[in-house]
Amino acid sequence: MNEAAFDALKTYDWGVEPNVLQPLTDAVVTTHGNAAARLELEIQLAAVLKTDVPRAAKDAVCRLLKPIGTAASVPTLAALLADEKLSHMARYALELMPAPEAGEALRAALPKVGGKLKIGVISSLGVRGDAAGVAPLQALLADGDPAIARAAAYALGAIGSPEANAALAAAKASPATRAAMADASLACAEELLATDRKPAAKATYQRLLGGKPSKLVEQAAARGVKACEGR
Amino acid sequence: MKNHQTTRRDFLKTTGLTTAAIGFPTIIASSVLGRGATPPPSERIVMGGIGLGNMGGGDLGNFLNNPGVQYVAVCDVRKNVCNGAKGTVDGKYNNKDCTAYGDFRELLARPDIDAVHVATPDHWHAIMVIEACRNGKDVYCQKPETRTMREGPLMVEAARRYGRVVSGGSQRVFEDYRQVVNKCWSGELGPIKSINVEVGPLSQPCNLPPEDVPADMDWEMWLGPAAWAPYNSKRCDGNFGTGGNSWRSYLDYSGGGMTDWGAHHFGGATFAVDVRELQPTEISLEEDGGKKFLTLKYPNGVLLTHNKPGKGNLEVEGTPGEKRAPKPIPGYSVKGGIYADFLNCVKTRGRPFRDIELAVNTVAVSHLSTIAYTLGRSLKWDAAKQQFTGDEEANRYLDRARREPWQL
Repeated sequence: MNEAAFDALKTYDWGVEPNVLQPLTDAVVTTHGNAAARLELEIQLAAVLKTDVPRAAKDAVCRLLKPIGTAASVPTLAALLADEKLSHMARYALELMPAPEAGEALRAALPKVGGKLKIGVISSLGVRGDAAGVAPLQALLADGDPAIARAAAYALGAIGSPEANAALAAAKASPATRAAMADASLACAEELLATDRKPAAKATYQRLLGGKPSKLVEQAAARGVKACEGR
Repeated sequence: MKNHQTTRRDFLKTTGLTTAAIGFPTIIASSVLGRGATPPPSERIVMGGIGLGNMGGGDLGNFLNNPGVQYVAVCDVRKNVCNGAKGTVDGKYNNKDCTAYGDFRELLARPDIDAVHVATPDHWHAIMVIEACRNGKDVYCQKPETRTMREGPLMVEAARRYGRVVSGGSQRVFEDYRQVVNKCWSGELGPIKSINVEVGPLSQPCNLPPEDVPADMDWEMWLGPAAWAPYNSKRCDGNFGTGGNSWRSYLDYSGGGMTDWGAHHFGGATFAVDVRELQPTEISLEEDGGKKFLTLKYPNGVLLTHNKPGKGNLEVEGTPGEKRAPKPIPGYSVKGGIYADFLNCVKTRGRPFRDIELAVNTVAVSHLSTIAYTLGRSLKWDAAKQQFTGDEEANRYLDRARREPWQL
């Protein structure tokens, strides 16, 4: 049955009835707990991404790899990160993949992609809470493209670690990035406070208050200081 | 994926909205008020609308009918729809002052706007609500408020961080299930054991063929954070169907009936049995007579079943022979329904009846149920960590990558 579905992928273009791929969706469910069968399915799916099947087929394969992908399919997915049409779907499979290789692939892609694709990769590192991504993201806070610098700030806020907080503190904000950097710093401060690191959280709030913040950020930071002081 | 959202929220719960919060409505000059305006300028809430088709048009109409509101901007990716909404607003005020936008970021950047309504397809909600909060706007967001589990805590965080009033959009939660709610809260049923909800179906993959993009439509913007796909009118139609001729049918944009009606029915059920501030800890996939159904267990022992055979929608099981002391039933802050409640809270800085955190908890029931049905197995949910316990595969369904350049 899977063979027929894999055959269907060869001509799976927009407009084809998606039910032809149902056996593959079912296989994802039925192979749960069977590592060997899972790996075989994963390898077969990843192999499809190396062929010249239609975009819709590769899109469907990335969706199938999302719940089952391992380090085995990372190299194939990583190769798509610089592909204008498939980068997003590669991240669709990689972003929440627990394998550390997924994070490594995203970090490795950072210098190789630009514009929107770079923003996508940055975003995925943030969602993963990628600790090793702090340094490259810190460098991007100074990127000449404010959209990339903002994306890096939000990603650091999503990571929320003391290291991410320090990276934001060390960065120089421009008018185009100030709000994003403040938002990310607030997110880091909240994480510090929630994990009982009140002095560091308070220092972050006070840093924001000392930097001529917008009224919105000023009030958020003032509330944070009060929370740090138990008020 | 980071799992700290709820701990952050615990902090934000204590520091968020206060009576001295920020962002009181803008004072607008009397010269821009339309004829027949009764409230003084200082009491008018300046609003913008994002997403004007179908429910968005309904939201616009409801807010426009409130004399305490002044709409100054509308936004939609379909120019004809957007211009139509501008015409409605301008007609209401007998002027040409409403500005039409195709990009919501331009609308949110306006410092004169106090509040917005968001009534786009569901895959856009989180991005727009969070961006609105970052811009100091209060938000009324249509239901279902989230498309993924991860989005919910981030929306709550943004609301609390910036002291924003953010209301979910199900009017039915308070208005449609009063009999059940009254019975439960009056104590006459005794301690509640369970309640059943009927909704469905789940949304489906979409692979519709390409059609020509209408000249007035920004298709890339309609797709936004969703996976790229060719335009097809059935893919993006805003009708309420879930049978394949609307975006509500398809999983990139909607959770289908599970979230669309789930926002109402699960919302009403969790309100009735008073678990709306909680999330379930166990999601058990069961079978009866060949029909699969779910039992979701809350930390206080209350069971919420989904499509349990032999049970009706919002059928409650109490404890026969026992009574419990009645509890005061929460409700809207003012008469006039969910819209008036939101507007009143914008003024008072109070929490609306469908505060975003409660709305997020409701849609979480739909998302957790969807993941259990999709995987075909029972799951354990750690609400504090916002993670499934012992099931890394299930955790991969908590969110999905957003198409560049969109980011939460």
